[in-house]
Parts: sequence; structure tokens; C-alpha cells
Amino acid sequence: MDKTMRGYRQIPVYLKYLINTLLLVALLVVGNHLISSGAVNRAQKAVILQIGIYALLAVSLNVATGYLGQLPLGHAGFMAVGGYAAAILWKAMPKNTGAMLLGLLLGGLAAAVFGIAIGIPALRLRGDYLAIITLGFGEIIRVLIINLPSITGGTPGLMSIPKHSTFLVVYATVIVSCVLIHTLMKSRHGRAILAIRENEIAAEASGVNTTFYKVLAFTVSAFFAGVAGALYAGYTGILTPGNFTFMTSVNILVMVVLGGLGSMAGSIIAAAILTALPLALQSFSKYRMVIYALLLIVVMIFKPSGLLGRYDFSLSRILEKLINGRLFVKKPQKAGEDRG
Amino acid sequence: MVPLDGLGIIPERDAGSPPILDIRHLCVDFGGLRAVDDFTLLIGKTEIAGLIGPNGAGKTTVFNLLTNVYKPTQGKILLNGQDTRGKSMHELNRLGIARTFQNIRLFSGMTVEDNVKVGMSHGYTDGVFTDMFRLPGWWRTERRQHVRALELLDLFNLTDKADALAGNLPYGDQRRLEIVRALASEPKLLLLDEPAAGMNPSETHELMDNIRMLRDRFNIAINIAIMLIEHDMNLVMGICEGIAVLNYGKIIAKGTPKEIQSNPVVIEAYLGEEASHA
Repeated sequence: MDKTMRGYRQIPVYLKYLINTLLLVALLVVGNHLISSGAVNRAQKAVILQIGIYALLAVSLNVATGYLGQLPLGHAGFMAVGGYAAAILWKAMPKNTGAMLLGLLLGGLAAAVFGIAIGIPALRLRGDYLAIITLGFGEIIRVLIINLPSITGGTPGLMSIPKHSTFLVVYATVIVSCVLIHTLMKSRHGRAILAIRENEIAAEASGVNTTFYKVLAFTVSAFFAGVAGALYAGYTGILTPGNFTFMTSVNILVMVVLGGLGSMAGSIIAAAILTALPLALQSFSKYRMVIYALLLIVVMIFKPSGLLGRYDFSLSRILEKLINGRLFVKKPQKAGEDRG
Repeated sequence: MVPLDGLGIIPERDAGSPPILDIRHLCVDFGGLRAVDDFTLLIGKTEIAGLIGPNGAGKTTVFNLLTNVYKPTQGKILLNGQDTRGKSMHELNRLGIARTFQNIRLFSGMTVEDNVKVGMSHGYTDGVFTDMFRLPGWWRTERRQHVRALELLDLFNLTDKADALAGNLPYGDQRRLEIVRALASEPKLLLLDEPAAGMNPSETHELMDNIRMLRDRFNIAINIAIMLIEHDMNLVMGICEGIAVLNYGKIIAKGTPKEIQSNPVVIEAYLGEEASHA
């Protein structure tokens, strides 16, 4: 039997999944009830929806940055591809649930196709070169959108896109996406991706097809960015190329870095903070960017690995500690688990 | 040890089967420098072979040629009768070569168990979607890999550290974990690059027992040949059956530990000419 866990009671995996599923569904139902009952006002609802969309963008970028260990700077490009693909479909279809689902899927798939196309040449390069090539890709997408007015509406953009992105749609999508990314990472494929981040040569020598897994991680990252782009289109109702500049890519990257490279919970928390903060600081908008920048500097000085480092929140781990009466005691042999 | 085809010697017990590794006239040039010159060697199916030589002799270069990190300028390598030319590193791993590195290359941010699981990179068919949606294939793979990882870790007494981060292990354990990770791919040929470097005498002794155990215990189930580079002569002379001595990229001697120890050319290569006059 498992010697490492002698005397440490574990919750079976299927039970963990059951508990987490129930909790997430409850969260959705309660949240949806709060929104529809009018307990939150319009402005607050807007912030909540934006947080969801940016959380998904940050989580998806985290796949390529935190898990795979590359530095792509064109995330807004994938978001744009997904957004426009979904918007064009939605404008051509009646507004119903089927169209909504189809649009989200199409947005993801369109971005994934671009992810593969850009990933295969780009991932042969490393570090700075990869950053530059993906940066170029993001800009090319934006310029293409401007110069294809018959499809994309050009500079003025696409207007009157059906507003599919209700609270339930956004958060159900975000939760499903996060779960799928999580389940991917906790599998042999996910371990191969992490191994590439840790040591590419050793991964290759251990039989990991590094090219395949790099493109896979990049494509998954692009797919969910595309889904987030679709949510964004269904939330604003208007898409203009100005939404998808280099600064958007950088903003998403800042969220990932601030939250902690490789931590999904960190990405979500940082996305929430960095989305809500500028809106909350709107009353003294003169100093908004100063505070924003200061916050980043302070975090990078005192916690360079990001708010959560590589730590990921796990409800079942806390439950396990509770039933073992060791909530505040470190689990043996797990030293360094939450190190930065 | 018995001679084979006039190219080298392999242990008697392997004489009936073709050698696992057949290297013929291997050369590699770096710029104008010939780093490995006319390297010819046979390794028996279950042999423990040693590759020794002074610093800079080209031993690690040979390993890098065997794993296609470098492309040979001339010569060929047959692994189990199959030409390895043009294969990528992970394809070679699938064909049966696994290795460790002179400077440890573990996945330090991952747990000990996950390090071993990464090594089990083939023989599993569950696809990306199977795993994402937790279909039965994922459960099967996870269970199989978990059981196998603990079995392998048990061989090297690392089971109780399965959940620790690899980077937090003491040095000796990290070296041994690298071997376990290499074994996870069920290789036919295991290349160990200075497995005892930086170990104290008792750790080295334990490692020797481990390597012997690999031959004696592993060979019952699967045949494994081990080729190792090492500077610790107690280890090399203690466990290797055939030894090749490399100097300036050339093999200067091949033989059993006894023959190597008394070979004047080898002594000269290690101690310089003065010593042979003395």
C-alpha cells in the first residue's frame, strides 16, 4: 500500500470531484440568484462579468506561461480571433442557447487553429524570440481586422452583436474551462508539459515529445483565449480592433505574473484585483495608473514569484487536513509545497 | 568475457544473443577538433560496461552521440540491431535508451513521484480528451503509473519521499531519483553519466549495490544493459564487467577490470609518462 500516507486519511478522488462539483454549481446558482434578484447594481454586475472574462484570459495564458514556461506576448490576438469568429456567427444566427454554445466553441476552435499555425514555427524559438514572434502575430491580427472591413467591420468595428454573455454564461464557461485545464494538467499530458518547463533536455531524454507538448499547451492556451474573446464579444456587444492592442496582451501577462506563474488560483485572484482596481479607483482617475504601477512594484519586490507563487488552492487538501486534525500542521513530506 | 566478431568482448551469458549496442567507427568533429575518433564498442545484452578516461577524454561526448544530442561525423550506432541515425531523443528513448546526466537534471519543481511518472512516457494510449474529461482511460493510467512509480522508487528506497519536491531531496537521493526516472521508461540500455559524482563513500557503496541489484533483479523480468561513465575506480572496478578506456577521443584499451588495471597504456594515460618510468 501507499507507504507515504501512513496514518493520513485521504478523501477518494471521485469524492473530491463530487464535493467540488456541488460547490461550484452552488456558487453559480447563488451568484445567478443575486444578479437576477437585483441585489447588485448595473455597475457592479459589469465589474463581475469583466472579472470572469479576464480571469479566463489569465488562466489560459497561464497554460503557456506558467505551465509550459514560455513567454508569448500575443494573447490579445487569440482573444480577437475568438471574439470576431463568435460575433460573426452570432450576428447571423437567432439569439438562443444553441447559438450561444456554438459561438463559444467556434471562437475557441478558430483561436486554436491560429494557435497551432503560430505555435509550430514559434515554438522552435526560445525566450525573447518567441516573445517577439508572438508579439508580431498579435499585431498582424489587429492590422488584418482593420483591413478586412467586409468581414470584420474595419476600424469602427462590429456592432450590435447579440449579448449572450449573462452572468450564468460567463461563469459557467469560466468554471468549465478552468476545470478542463486543471484536469489536463493533472494527467500524464499535463506532467509532460510541466516537465518541459522544468528541464526541456531531461524531458526529451525521458521520452517526452517536446514539440508535440509545446504545441499542445500553446493550442490549449489559444483555445481558451478564444473562448474568452467570444465571451467578451457577447458582453460588450461591440468589437473594435482597438480592444486587442499589444497593451491588452501585456495586461493579461501582468495578471499572470502578479498572481504567480503556474498558479491557476493566483491568475484568477490577480485578474479580479487588476480588473476591479482601476474601476474602483475611477473617482481619482488622475492617480489611477500610479497606484496600479506601485502595486506591481511592491508585489515584485516583496514577492517576486507572484501573490501565490506556484501554490494552488485545493479545497480537498484543506478538507483532508481538517479530518486529520492537522489544519495548521504541515503535511509530512510536503515540505516546500507552497514555496515561492 | 568472450570475444565477438573480433570487435570487442561481451559476457559469456550474452554470447548467444546479439549485442544490445554495436558502435562502429564513430567519429565526431567540432570545428577542427576530433572529439571522438574511431570509437568501436560492443555491449552485451545484460552487461554492465564502464567507460573511463581522464577529464576531457570525450566520455560524455560519446553518451551525447549515443542519445543523438550530437550528430556523428562518421560511423554508425546500432541499438538492438536498429540504426539510430536521425532519430530524435524521445524516439531513441522509445527504442530503449535512457540516460542520466553529469549535472543532475531533475524536474525540481515537481514531486518525486511525478518525476518518475514523466519517465513513463510510452505504453499509454489515453489521449488528451480522455484525460481532460476523466474518461476511464485516465483512471486506468493514473492507477497503473502510481503503482509502477512506487515499485520503482522502492528499488532505490525512495518510496517515503514520493511526495517531496525533487529539488528538496539531498544530493545522493537526487542522483538516485534520476536513475529511477530513467528506469521508468523500461530501457534496454541505461546510460549513467558519473552516477557517483559528489557522493560520499557510503552513498557510493549503496549505489553499487543498487546497480548490481538492477542487473540481478531486473534481468529476470526484462533485459537491461548498463553503460556508465565514472571516475570512482572502486565503483568501476567493482561492478563493471567490460571496460573501455578513452583518451583524447580514442579508445586506448578495452578489457576486463583486471586487464585494465595492469595495462601500462592506461596507467600512462592517467598518471603521465613519468609514472611508467618510475
